[in-house]
Amino acid sequence: MKRSYLGEFEELVLLTVATLGQGAYGVAIADELDRQAGRPVSISAVHAALHRLEEKGMLTSHMGDATAERGGRRKRLFSVTALGSRTLHDIRDMRNRLWDNIAPNTLPATGIL
Amino acid sequence: MDNGVSPCPSLTTNSIIPGYSFYILHYSFYRMHTPPRWADRLLNWFCAPHLLEEVQGDLYERFLRNERLFGLPMARRQYAWEVITFLRPFALKRQPNEQSTTYTLSPAMIRNYLTVARRNLLRNKTFAAINITGLAVGLATCLMIMLYVVHELSYDRYHAKADRMYRMTILGQIEGKALNIAYSSVPAGPTLANDYPGVEAVTRVDNRQGTFIVTRGTESVKEEHVAHADSNFFDTFSIPLLKGRAGDVLTQPNTVVLNESTARKYFGNEDPVGQTITLGTLGLYRVTGVFQDIPSNSHFHYNIIGSLRSLKLRETWLSSGIMTYIVLRPNYAIGQLEARIPEMVRKHISSEMKQLLGVSLSDFQQKGNSFRFGFQPVTDIHLHSHLEGEAEPNGDLKYVYIFSVIAVFILLLACINFMNLSTAGSAGRAREVGVRKVLGSHQGQLIGQFLSESMLVTFMALVIALGLVFMALPAFNRLAGTDFTFSVLVSGGMLPAIFLSSLFIGLLAGSYPAFILSSFKPVSVLKGRLQIGARSGWLRHSLVTVQFMVSISMIIGTLIVYRQLHFIQHKKVGFDKEQVLMVHDTYTLGDKTGAFKSELRKLSQVIDVTSGGYMPAGPTNHSVDGIRLEDGNPQATLYREKSFYIDDRYIHTLGIALAQGRNFLPAHPADQSAVLLNEAAVKRFGFKQPVGQQIWAVGDGSPNSQRRYTVVGVLKDFHFESMHEAIAPLIMFYGEDNYQMAIRIRTGNLPELLKTLATIWKAQTSNPFAYSFLNERFNAMYQSEERVGRLFGIFAGLTIFVACLGLFGLAAFTAQRRTKEIGVRKVLGASVGSVVVLLSRDFLKPVLIALIIATPVAWYGMHQWLQDFAYRINVEWWVFVLAGALAITIALLTVSFQSIKAAMINPVKSLKAE
Repeated sequence: MKRSYLGEFEELVLLTVATLGQGAYGVAIADELDRQAGRPVSISAVHAALHRLEEKGMLTSHMGDATAERGGRRKRLFSVTALGSRTLHDIRDMRNRLWDNIAPNTLPATGIL
Repeated sequence: MDNGVSPCPSLTTNSIIPGYSFYILHYSFYRMHTPPRWADRLLNWFCAPHLLEEVQGDLYERFLRNERLFGLPMARRQYAWEVITFLRPFALKRQPNEQSTTYTLSPAMIRNYLTVARRNLLRNKTFAAINITGLAVGLATCLMIMLYVVHELSYDRYHAKADRMYRMTILGQIEGKALNIAYSSVPAGPTLANDYPGVEAVTRVDNRQGTFIVTRGTESVKEEHVAHADSNFFDTFSIPLLKGRAGDVLTQPNTVVLNESTARKYFGNEDPVGQTITLGTLGLYRVTGVFQDIPSNSHFHYNIIGSLRSLKLRETWLSSGIMTYIVLRPNYAIGQLEARIPEMVRKHISSEMKQLLGVSLSDFQQKGNSFRFGFQPVTDIHLHSHLEGEAEPNGDLKYVYIFSVIAVFILLLACINFMNLSTAGSAGRAREVGVRKVLGSHQGQLIGQFLSESMLVTFMALVIALGLVFMALPAFNRLAGTDFTFSVLVSGGMLPAIFLSSLFIGLLAGSYPAFILSSFKPVSVLKGRLQIGARSGWLRHSLVTVQFMVSISMIIGTLIVYRQLHFIQHKKVGFDKEQVLMVHDTYTLGDKTGAFKSELRKLSQVIDVTSGGYMPAGPTNHSVDGIRLEDGNPQATLYREKSFYIDDRYIHTLGIALAQGRNFLPAHPADQSAVLLNEAAVKRFGFKQPVGQQIWAVGDGSPNSQRRYTVVGVLKDFHFESMHEAIAPLIMFYGEDNYQMAIRIRTGNLPELLKTLATIWKAQTSNPFAYSFLNERFNAMYQSEERVGRLFGIFAGLTIFVACLGLFGLAAFTAQRRTKEIGVRKVLGASVGSVVVLLSRDFLKPVLIALIIATPVAWYGMHQWLQDFAYRINVEWWVFVLAGALAITIALLTVSFQSIKAAMINPVKSLKAE
C-alpha cells in the first residue's frame, strides 16, 4: 500500500501524540515537543499539523470534559489511529533498514566514542 | 472571554489563599488578568466556529502559564502574537455542516423557489396571465424593434475595409444655395488615387442612368438597378463573386456582371459567363461574372453592373458626376486628406471655373460661394446622409432613436405591470413572508424566492414572445418594408444577448416587490397590524401615471402623423393628379413616338397626351440649370435653378393653371427660345412684369453653350417635389423628354382602356408595356411617412394594451380587497352606480395627471417631427383632448368591468365570507 507521506514536523507531532497517550491535546503536545526536541513551537503550528494529520486519517479526536483551568473550555484530545500507527511503524522500519545498511565507520564520529 | 469570573479557580488550585478573599482580589485586577480583548475578538471573528473552543482553550492555558512565568505584559503580547499566527487556512475554513447548507443559491433552494413560484402562479391564474401576456407583448415588440435597429445600424459594415472606406461628395454654396451632392467629379477620383499616397484605392460607380431595357434574344425586361463601375469594384466592396475573378470581370468595355437572381432570370440554369445581353441603347454586353445578391443592409442594390469603360464619361470637374468611393491606407487619417482638398480644388478647378462661370476661383469665393469635396464614411451613409443624388433613399437615424425609445417604453410598461400587481397582491403574500421569517428565512432567501418568481414569469413570457415574433414577422416585414428573418434572432450572439436581457428584465421587474415584500416585519404582519398595500399605493399610482403618459403620448403621436399624412395627400397640389395614366419607358419607341401619340389621341377616352420626362411625382428626370438675368456680365448673379423640359401639351394634360401670359405654341418657331416660369421663380428673379423678360442659361460654361430665353408665361405654383420641400423656383424650357408619357384619361372602364393601350404599344415596339397612375405615384412619395404612421398606430395600440392589462389587474385587486367594504356599503343602502363610481374614481386621477404631463411632451416631440415638412398642419388643441378622452374612456372601460362585477356581488356572499 502506498502510504501517505508525512512531513518531518507532522511525524514529530504524531509521535508526540503517541507519547502522551490519553492526555494529548494542543498545549500539551507543544510543551512536550519543546521539552523533547528543544524547539519552541507555536500553538498554531501544532494545531495546523494536528488538523492535517486528522484529515489524513492518522489521528482521531474527541472533545474532553470541561476543565476549569481553561475557562471552562473543553480540550480536544487526540489519539493515533491504526493508519497512524502503521505509518509510524513503516517510517521506523525504513529508518532502521537504512541505518542497518550503513557500513561501519562511514559516518564521521560525532562524539568521543 | 465571555465569562470574566471563571479564570480564578485555576489560580486557586495552586493557592493557599482562601477562595473568597481571592475573589475580591481577582475582581480588583479583573481587567488586568485577561488576554488583550481585541485579540480575543479577532480570534472570535476569524476562527471557524468548530475549532474556536479548543483553540481558545489552548491559547488561554498558555496565557496563564506565560503570565505565571513572564508576567502579564509579556503574556498578553504573546497571546496576541499567537492569535495572529492562527491566521491560517485551516483555521479560517468553515466546516461544511448538514444543518446549515440552505444558503440562498444552493440547488435545493433554487428548486424550492421554483416550486413555490409555480404554485403561486397557478394559484393566481388571472394575475399570472396578465403578467405573462404583458411581458410577452412587451418583449415581442422589443425583439421586433431590436431586429430593425440592429439592421439599420449594420449598414455597409460587412465590407472588409469598411472602417477606411469613404464616399467623396461635393459640398459648397452657390448664390446662397447649398450644394450637397452625393457624387463627385469624374476626374476627382483618379486624381486622388494618382496624386495622394494616403489613398489606397478609388472606385467609381455611375448609376445616374439606372434604368435600362435589357434584351436577351427576343425577350426584353426593364431593369431598374443598373450601374457601371470601375474594375476594382469587387476589391473595394466585399460582395462575393460566384463566377469570375474580382480583378478581371469589369476590365473590358462592354462587359457586365449580373447578380445571382438576375442571372437566373435571364439564363436559368445555363452558365451566364460568355453569353450576351443588350443594355438599352448602349449595345451588346458580354457577361463575365455573377455576384451574390447585394445584402439588404447596403446603401445600394445593383442587380447589373457594367464596366465603366463601356461609357463615355465627361472628364470635366464642374459639370460631371459619378459616385466616388475611396479606400484609405490603414492608419491614414481622413483629416490629412481633407486638409489637402483646397489645394486640389485650386489646381484643377480654377480654369474650368473661369470657362463655365466666367469668374476666377478667388472672385467666386469672394462672393461667398464655395466649392469643395467632402468625405463621408461609407458606414454613415445609410443613417446620416441625405444628399442630392443618393443611390437609394436612405434611412433616418431619428427613427432608429424613436423606435428604440418606444421599445424601451413598452418593456418598461410591462415591468411596471409586474411591479404593481405584485405589490398590490402583497396582502396575500405578507402572511406567507411572516411565517417564513418566523421559521428562520433570511431576507436574502426571501428576495431569492421572489426574484425566481419574476424570472420564471419573464422566461415564460420570453418563450411566448419568441413565438409571437415568429408569427408576426411577415406582417411586420410588410409594414416596415424590410425582410427580416426569424433566424437572425436565434443565431450568433443574439440568443445569449436576449437571454441576458431577459434575466435583467426579470431582475428589474422583480426587484421592487422582492425588496418590499421581504422586508416585512414578521411580528406586525402576523398580528395583522400592517396596512399592506396602502404604503405602496402612491408608488403604484405614479407608475400607472407613467404608463398612461407613454400611452397618451403615443396616441397623440399617431393622431398627428395621420393628420399630417391626410393633409399632404389632400392638399391642393396645383395640378390634377386624378385620371392621369403614365406610360413608362416611351423612349424605347424611338422615332415611332409621334405615331404612338397620334394613335392615342384618336381614342375617345384620351383627353390629352404629353411627353412627361419630368413629372411632379414618382420617377422623373431631374435637371438643374445655371441662369443669369443679364447677358455676358460675369459679375451678374448666377442662379442654380431646377428646370423641366416640357412640350406644349404638358400643362393641359396635368391641369396646371396659367397665372399670366401663354403656353408654348407649336406654331411659333420662336418658341424654341421661349420659357415658362412658376410663381416662385418670378419671385426669385424679382420680376415685376415677368412676361417678356429675358434670361440666359449658361449651359456647360463654354461661351457658345450660353443661350437666351424669353419668358412667355407664368404658371401657378404647383408641388413638383414632395411636401418636405417648399415649392422651389422652376424654369420650364420648351422641349420634349420621352422618358415617359402622361395621358389624361376619362373613362369608367379602365381595364378595357389599358388593353387597348397595350395593343397600340405592341404594334409599335416589342418592349414591355408598363404603366402607373399619377395619384398612386404621388401617394408613394409619402410611403415612409405612411409606414411610420402605421407603426406608430400599432405601437400606440400595444402600449395601451399593456397599460390596460395592468390597470385591469389593479382594479381586480382593489375590488377584491374592498369586497367587505362594498358589502357593508350595499347593506347600508349604496346603489350599484355609486359603488362603481367609488371604485373607478381612484383610477381616473393617474390618467388625468398623465394627460397633463404627456401633453407638452407629445406636443414638443411632434412639433419637431413636423419641422421636416415645408407644408404642415398646426398642432391643434383638440388632438390632445381627443387623445385624453380616448385614454380615459379605455381606462374607464377596463376598470369598470371589475368595478361593476364587484358592485354586483350580493352583500350576503361577501359579508358571510369571514
